Amino acid sequence: MTRRMWTYAGLAAGLVLVAFPFGWTLLASFKPESEIRRDPPTFLPDQWTFANYAGLFERTQMDQAFFNSTVVALAAVAGNLLFCSMVGYAFAKLPFRGRNVLFGLVLVQLMVPAIVVMIPQFVLIASFGLVNTFLGIILPTIVTPLGIFLMRQFIADIPDELVHAARVDGAREFRIFFQIVLPLCKPALATLGLITFFTSWNGFIWPAVVAQSEDMYTLPVALAIFSNAQATQYGLLIAGAVVVVLPILVIFLFLQRYFVQGTTFTGLK
Amino acid sequence: MKRFVIGVAAVGLLATACGRSAGGPAEEAKDVDVNKAAGEVTVWAMGAEGEALGAFAKEFEAANPGVTVKVTPLGWDVAHDKITAAIAGNATPDVSMLGSTWMGEMAKTGALEPTPGNLIDESVFFPGAWGTGEVAGTAYGVPWYVETRAFYYRTDLAEKAGVKPPATWEETTAFVKALKDKAGADLGVEQNFKQGSWQEVVPLVWQAGGDISAAGKWTFDTPEMVTALTHYASFFEDGLAATDQPTGAFPQTFVKGKVGAFYSGPWMIAGMEKEGGADFAGKFSVAPYPKGSAGGTSVIGGSNMVVFKSAKNREAAWKFLQWLTDPKVQASWFGKVAALPSVQAAWQEPALTADQRVGVFGDQLKDARSAPAVPTWEQVAKVMETEIEKLALGKQSAADTAKAMQAQAETIGTGA
Repeated sequence: MTRRMWTYAGLAAGLVLVAFPFGWTLLASFKPESEIRRDPPTFLPDQWTFANYAGLFERTQMDQAFFNSTVVALAAVAGNLLFCSMVGYAFAKLPFRGRNVLFGLVLVQLMVPAIVVMIPQFVLIASFGLVNTFLGIILPTIVTPLGIFLMRQFIADIPDELVHAARVDGAREFRIFFQIVLPLCKPALATLGLITFFTSWNGFIWPAVVAQSEDMYTLPVALAIFSNAQATQYGLLIAGAVVVVLPILVIFLFLQRYFVQGTTFTGLK
Repeated sequence: MKRFVIGVAAVGLLATACGRSAGGPAEEAKDVDVNKAAGEVTVWAMGAEGEALGAFAKEFEAANPGVTVKVTPLGWDVAHDKITAAIAGNATPDVSMLGSTWMGEMAKTGALEPTPGNLIDESVFFPGAWGTGEVAGTAYGVPWYVETRAFYYRTDLAEKAGVKPPATWEETTAFVKALKDKAGADLGVEQNFKQGSWQEVVPLVWQAGGDISAAGKWTFDTPEMVTALTHYASFFEDGLAATDQPTGAFPQTFVKGKVGAFYSGPWMIAGMEKEGGADFAGKFSVAPYPKGSAGGTSVIGGSNMVVFKSAKNREAAWKFLQWLTDPKVQASWFGKVAALPSVQAAWQEPALTADQRVGVFGDQLKDARSAPAVPTWEQVAKVMETEIEKLALGKQSAADTAKAMQAQAETIGTGA
């Protein structure tokens, strides 16, 4: 009993440590600009104000940016769920020549930082005429090496016998994939969906480079305008950060069960 | 840091890839017939300027029926990457704002259009400002607004200590010492030794009679450089400037009177009034840079406006730039975002003569120079900052700092 209490005390301390910055940010978004910068800093606002939120939504096309972010993130999630699991299935269950070499190449891509390929990728997108379009922003994120890796590992653990049995019964590969394999992948798909959504929702540099007019900006790109060389407007920036983070918190609350499950599964070997 | 190194590598690759066209004789500027100006001009601008320019440009649209200006605001964080990518992908806007220290690098890509002499008159600008856009003998774009650095101090503390703002290096030391010992400013003067610290040191080199580059070569290892670095470091050594303050403690330390003075640009006038509240406005003032043995030259910065060669609407683009650099327009733009005019005549306008502190910057601009407009400048500035930090923390002598800067700058080269 006492041991249990100690565990909870330790966990509670950890929670406070982790939650404190979020709490401070949330409270700071209700403080006037001068109070945010005050030294020593305040925790609870002396003076509650909605001015930051009001300023945020009147100054930029925030609702447009919110819409753009949603479209981009959902498209990235849909693309990753479909394509990564397909590729993962092929790597895990279909024997073909050069499979390991190809899979190795996918893994190599995991190690190349996105910033290195940014300019060549932009030149490519520009030559397709996709600059300043949704497609241009979404296309490079529609299938990711991390997603392929995740799905392949998960599908590899599904017993071969299931796949064989379906094949003996005369099912084609697509049917096996959609009716047998995919339903078993729910935890992995939830994890992949979450990761993709977070990455895309928080994505900054690529959308910032491809979107060339304000009506194509995603949330982080629109917020970056407030960060100036000399006079960063922290009030607006913090209010914006809260707006950006809220959907993620909500989604995580609903899907955390799958998220934890998914990571445990992929850890097993 | 890792991301930064990779970023530099990527830009380096880009520079080599696009460098083929450069290196020949100076480019010829082509005249512009602004009577043909019509249609839409696309403009990129950063930060607060980007936010305000769209509405401001309505006046230009009203004066030029048939021309529309579409401004896309960008964050400073992404602007450099976005513009280099746009150049590489040949997907540029017609016009873009560029940080004045990027001019060398961007001009080298061959994507900028030389300034047409029939439209833009060099002599109306501050020479230092014009110099930011001159790369290898060719001028690109126009200086849009300028910044320079001067000496901020607490008037109330100076009065309490019985000292006048310093005019020379020696007086600066005495001044800060008096603020500290007699008026209770226990942190003395704020000297930046981290990001952007090259701006603290480069003016001192000029004031000592030296320079950081000459005839296409870096010249960091000189007696003048050592003099400048020694002067800069002396404040840290004598306990007149602190290195142990948490990031972001300044400017509140100045408001509270712990720091008595600092060097910075014009934006700090408004910044300090915001930081300290309405009654703080009367407690600080600005003086020109204290003079070294060779004068009181400051460093000029700011932003330029450029037209890309791939611009779809060249005539209207240049006409817009011509309008932006009209003295009246420049003065009214100052009223909007407090960006200092790059055009000298604009400084006669009432908007700029109202505040004496702004006037100090106007005088300082007549004696201000730009950082070298070479493609590798941003990299070399990073080297300076790293070495300056070691010096400020007392880990390296002034002479060794100068040597270390020279050695690394030579490896980077001037991109010529």
